[in-house]
Amino acid sequence: MKKIMLTLKINGDKYEIITYPNRTLLEILRDDLLLTGTKESCGEGACGACTVLLDGLPVRSCLLLATEVKNKEITTIEGLAKGEKLDPVQESFIEHHAIQCGFCSPGMILTAHSLLNHNPAPTEEEIRFAISGNVCRCTGYAKIVEAVKALSKRGRE
Amino acid sequence: MGDFSLIGKSMKRIDTPLKATGQARFSSDLMLPRMLIGKVLRSPHAHAKILEIDISKAEKLQGVKAVITAKDTCADKWGVFRYTQDQQFLPTDKVRYVGEEVAAVAAVDEDTAIQALKLIKVEYEELPAVFDIKSALESGAPLIHQDHPGNINIHVNIDVGDVVKGFGESYCVREDTFTAPEDSYFQGEPYAVVAQYDHTGSLEIWMPNAGPHLKAKPLSNVLKIPLNKVRVRKIAIGGAFGGRSEISPADVICAFLARKSQRPVKLVYTREENSIATRQAHSMIATIKTGVNKEGRVISRDITCHMDGGAYSSTGPIAVSVPFLCMEQAYQMENVRYNGYRVFTNKPIRGMFRTHGRAFACGVDLQLDMIGQELGINPLEMRLRNARKVGEFTPTKSYVASCGMTETILKAGEKAGWNEKWGKLPPYHGIGIGCNSVQTGFPMGIRGGSQAFIKFNEEGGITVITGIVDNGQGNDNMIVQIAAEELGLGVCDVQLINADTEVTPSDPGSYSMCETFIGGNAVRLAAQDAKNKLLKIASEALKASPDELTVKDRKIYIEKSPNKSISLSKIIRIALSRNESISGEGSYWPKVDSKREWVENPSGQLSETFSFGTVITEVKVDPETGKVDVLEVTAAQDVGYALNPKVIEGQFEGGIAMGGQGGMLSEYILWYNGRVLNPDQLDYMVPLAIDMPRINNIIVETIDPNGPYGAKEAGMSIAMSAAQAYCGAICNAIGVNIKEFPLTPDKILNAIEKKVKGEQNP
Repeated sequence: MKKIMLTLKINGDKYEIITYPNRTLLEILRDDLLLTGTKESCGEGACGACTVLLDGLPVRSCLLLATEVKNKEITTIEGLAKGEKLDPVQESFIEHHAIQCGFCSPGMILTAHSLLNHNPAPTEEEIRFAISGNVCRCTGYAKIVEAVKALSKRGRE
Repeated sequence: MGDFSLIGKSMKRIDTPLKATGQARFSSDLMLPRMLIGKVLRSPHAHAKILEIDISKAEKLQGVKAVITAKDTCADKWGVFRYTQDQQFLPTDKVRYVGEEVAAVAAVDEDTAIQALKLIKVEYEELPAVFDIKSALESGAPLIHQDHPGNINIHVNIDVGDVVKGFGESYCVREDTFTAPEDSYFQGEPYAVVAQYDHTGSLEIWMPNAGPHLKAKPLSNVLKIPLNKVRVRKIAIGGAFGGRSEISPADVICAFLARKSQRPVKLVYTREENSIATRQAHSMIATIKTGVNKEGRVISRDITCHMDGGAYSSTGPIAVSVPFLCMEQAYQMENVRYNGYRVFTNKPIRGMFRTHGRAFACGVDLQLDMIGQELGINPLEMRLRNARKVGEFTPTKSYVASCGMTETILKAGEKAGWNEKWGKLPPYHGIGIGCNSVQTGFPMGIRGGSQAFIKFNEEGGITVITGIVDNGQGNDNMIVQIAAEELGLGVCDVQLINADTEVTPSDPGSYSMCETFIGGNAVRLAAQDAKNKLLKIASEALKASPDELTVKDRKIYIEKSPNKSISLSKIIRIALSRNESISGEGSYWPKVDSKREWVENPSGQLSETFSFGTVITEVKVDPETGKVDVLEVTAAQDVGYALNPKVIEGQFEGGIAMGGQGGMLSEYILWYNGRVLNPDQLDYMVPLAIDMPRINNIIVETIDPNGPYGAKEAGMSIAMSAAQAYCGAICNAIGVNIKEFPLTPDKILNAIEKKVKGEQNP
């Protein structure tokens, strides 16, 4: 297999990468760029731990080849906080005890962030539906739903 | 309770900012210079002799730096107990389940490692295999371990009172058999290990664990290096649920690969490997015979339970005992006999699971419902009449120092509207109740106690050093909360070093729900030790006796005249200038009967205290599809004292998802000749956010006399009661008692159909 060169835009930075064309976005993020906040849990697109935002929408980076995402804005969990200031979704997850082991949290937070961007006042049903592509084994989802609901009431700054 | 600054408050957890931002590092996130990738070759056979392993071609492949087999691990065997040492980290002569480790490689990248596995040639001679309890017990069944005739791994026998006489005196007696297949832990984080082994002969290793010291000792044994050379490091852990307590072949394999290659090695399991080659929960067949008097009070109970243990012992003696012990804590039993058998089969290894024993617990609880039906007593009343009370002894002689069993039943019943709903719900609506109780630690030999240290910096801030580990439940925060409270500090004044075997003292591990009770007590005592030293200096400075002083807001002041105070930083400076050390040391040893043993002597104080819980579930069943719609769940647990109420609620909610929603509706492993057909996330159905019902949490506090601030444990009695409440509710909704769990739509439809045809017996 011949290596190819691609340019990826991740968290506002440009990366030029020489790699094999069969590598997933998840592998590039974790292994090449050390953006290890993105997790691998199931490896088959079912759990949502590897969720990143592609032009603002949640996608599963384990199912995407890196070559498929050229010219798109990729946001990983590392790109959500602005310096020391956390994103309101991150703040809310911490405040509402929506995090236990934390393995699903990066993907879950990105999904919630995208939901609130596209629907600033989601109902509980809409929240539950939106995060149902992200599996959490610890919390039973109650506190996660509360964390997102709290932002829905407040609206987005 | 006293006037606390942090204890009893739902303070934000100290570990979650790192987890919310992706800064928390889990084992598979680690990258070390020159790091290699490890991969494991696994058995394709359920039972086979290993005739020959040829690694020569794999070793010659460009990029391969180490290949190991049983020759490297000296064929050493592992077992939790002296009498259960039956698992080789890499087997020499036989494989016993599909997926068992046979050899491993470390190479410069994953592709090379996978290619190398294909070059390892293993010659097997297949042997006949057994895949279920019944065929394993048949005479003439193939033996899985030569020294275990009949494939019986463990037999626990408990016999208290006179069971036969008890049945004779009973007004109503019934016997039922309940079954459930295996379930899977499905931790968010698949198992992963990183190890490096240098030329000084030291191992440094990171892996998910439920106690770093429980990993270090067997590593030291198998590597044949001193214990101080094994440094198990702290790392974020993506869930354990009982499945990460023991040493894993992955730990040993990774360490040997690192030693052989003299380079760091990372070994990350796939989701499928995590499902097959870490631990699974036992399948069970429980036959329960119960006799009651006219009032529904249990007079006599006889239980025989067979558990499919898979290929090796693991925590077998504990696993066989715990479902029974939980129930003997929850309910009064005068005359009781228990025969628990763990049976070897050619299937993956089974361990202790957070919701261990659904066939057992649902059996005991559902049978109470059935007896109640015969006597005209409703399930909640049946629970009340049999509930454990404070000050009693369990049948196996554990004293119950605090107990809110009755209170949890009453409060859950009131909140769920039991009296308004029972017997009055529309067709295919149902309500059910489940109760259980768990321990706060077991007798664990020399590892039974926990120790903690505290040191001060010159500003009056502290570093706490303890072996307590956090699997995700919030133990790190619990440590900081206790230390800061005792020393009048803020959370930001406390630094934590924990779960690192090089630095931290002995601790039982986050195992058997003991960390708050045992580890938390040790931290509290260490803080009190340091506080006494601070008070001594302060009493001189303030010209008051130490018992007149209070520590709060980084100051020590005279309680009756709060304007007279001295700051902690000033006290530390005085101490430093006088060459007096201010540090704290604490250790806690639980009051358990050290002579109690799982098989030989199952009698005596098992655990210093116990938690008690009740779950009530309300459901609606669709008689056309068999689909269950869970309307509401109410959970009440006696936690002793709630150190952090939001953390406890999170444990309740997670326990209901795993034990009830998953455990009774959708989670089970599918098999074909010893092969797991659903090891992956698409086919093993864990609950999603849309599946989960509304949950009412009720925290009951009984203030345990010996728990830290009265605390016991934070939600396991809910996790262990949820399945029963779900199952009771569904059976109530359809008017049929189903004894095979979980209650999937096909079973529910079958039961409804049989009922309509008039075939079913109650």
